[in-house]
Amino acid sequence: MGFDVSLGQYYEANSFVHKLDPRMKLLFVIVFLVATFVAKNIFAFVLLVALILFFVIISRVPLRVIFKGLKPLIVIIIFTAVLNIFFTKGENYLWGKEIIPNFWRVDIYWEGLINAGILVVRIVTLLIGTSLFFSYTTTPIELTDGIETGLAPLKKIKIPIHEFAMMMTIALRFIPTLIDETSKIMNAQKARGADFSSGGLIKRAKALIPIIIPLFVSAFRRADELATAMECRCYHGGNGRTRMKILKMKARDYIMLLISVAMMVSVILLNIYAGGYSL
Amino acid sequence: MSIIELVDVGFIYGKKSPYEIHALQNINLKIEEGCITGIIGHTGSGKSTLVQIFNGLIRPDSGKVLVNGKDIWEKPKEISKIRYIVGMVMQYPEYQLFADTVWEDIAYGPRNMKVSEEEVKKRVERSAYFCGISKETLEKSPFDLSGGQKRRVALAGVMAMDPDVLVLDEPAAGLDPRGRREILGGIKEYREKSGKSVVIVSHSMEDMAMYCDTIAVMSHGKLIMHGDCKTVFSEKEMLAEAGLDVPEITNTVHALRKRGIEISKSIYTVDGAVNAIKEYLRGDKNGL
Repeated sequence: MGFDVSLGQYYEANSFVHKLDPRMKLLFVIVFLVATFVAKNIFAFVLLVALILFFVIISRVPLRVIFKGLKPLIVIIIFTAVLNIFFTKGENYLWGKEIIPNFWRVDIYWEGLINAGILVVRIVTLLIGTSLFFSYTTTPIELTDGIETGLAPLKKIKIPIHEFAMMMTIALRFIPTLIDETSKIMNAQKARGADFSSGGLIKRAKALIPIIIPLFVSAFRRADELATAMECRCYHGGNGRTRMKILKMKARDYIMLLISVAMMVSVILLNIYAGGYSL
Repeated sequence: MSIIELVDVGFIYGKKSPYEIHALQNINLKIEEGCITGIIGHTGSGKSTLVQIFNGLIRPDSGKVLVNGKDIWEKPKEISKIRYIVGMVMQYPEYQLFADTVWEDIAYGPRNMKVSEEEVKKRVERSAYFCGISKETLEKSPFDLSGGQKRRVALAGVMAMDPDVLVLDEPAAGLDPRGRREILGGIKEYREKSGKSVVIVSHSMEDMAMYCDTIAVMSHGKLIMHGDCKTVFSEKEMLAEAGLDVPEITNTVHALRKRGIEISKSIYTVDGAVNAIKEYLRGDKNGL
């Protein structure tokens, strides 16, 4: 389910965020991730939340769309929040030992409640931030392009960046194809009386064999054919390969760089001067 | 008696979205028992959607589907039983093979039906015979076979379920002429020996003319014609409108007629044409 969040949710619009260089988006998201985890007090969080809301608004992606993307993760968010409430030990009792018999072992402290709240804010801003920059405003192709050129310096230490990016592009390209194929094979096996929805766990797992095997066979065949087709068009890896779209940093990208730096610096300053979590 | 009957069936892809496509509109069709029925139409005319309605893989948005006179969607939970009555071979079925041996793969369907092992054996051997699969091939892995052989194994897998109607979606697509003849010949033999009904979807007019008893013509989601080969192929203009062609030999006959050679215009096989021309020549001599 979490799959939906990061894949193929491009929201077509013409905005500052959409037009940013994907490399810059990558950098910003990384800085943003670090900032969210470094942030220690309420002011830093307010700053980060305000910033991300600002970007959501100027990106022209409706809030409704973004919340829809969060929906599948609500259970996980609530689960972690509840764990934090019950399993954090602190000094300020909110509810617990004095009120009910000890064998229940539920002690709730103020600290736990705050921890849970902060965790929820952290997860939600992280999810909104990454999905806004990586999926709603960037096409998968732009993203892999950005990763490839952005990480190009790593080639010097023999990391095959081009190959990784190509693999990513191909993987993304073939997801819809494979989904299509799966439903075709399922229909064919259903026509032969296959039953995927009754019986115990083992029976159901066994019922999947007639789908998984043909799917693998065809995936391998496809890979083989694709490799041949690429070789026929003289593909021989990244060396000397030119690109159709050359990424270039523009004024708005430098503005974004400035914002990233300012964000990180102010979070650190707020951490130092405004103290830790306080009531 | 008709084994499958569609009453006013309609189906829409992507309902209530901007991409709504009326794949089928007001289809009324009867598939007669014991016949080979051909369904023809150009690409995207709704042929494949239509046959998926036959065995309940697709539920129509409107209208009724009757199999043996009973509405198949009366109890949606029991729809899988319909799939034993209406056996379906999809397009390019060779990709559905999965078992260790050809024998096991053909036995998959009958085993799902929970027939006895003895009966499974009988059915596997019988359908292997109709599809021209040799005893040695039955022991091989389906992945070691050629494309044409795989196709036959997939076909045998559905035949082995012993359905009352066998529905084949483009059974000969992508095969060489010999492969086509073998597979379609096998289907014809199966029909003759078992007496079961067969539905073939194709856009090859020649194949249809050779093997089918009746033909239904689809165009833009509508059924525009349904009748025996003679009637359908004599409507050259209507077929052309639907983006279809008559068999080559019918074209030849039409050309001959234009030159004043009076032979019947509803000829659709080479043998038929040979006989008609012979007769014409004989008549000509008599006239002289």
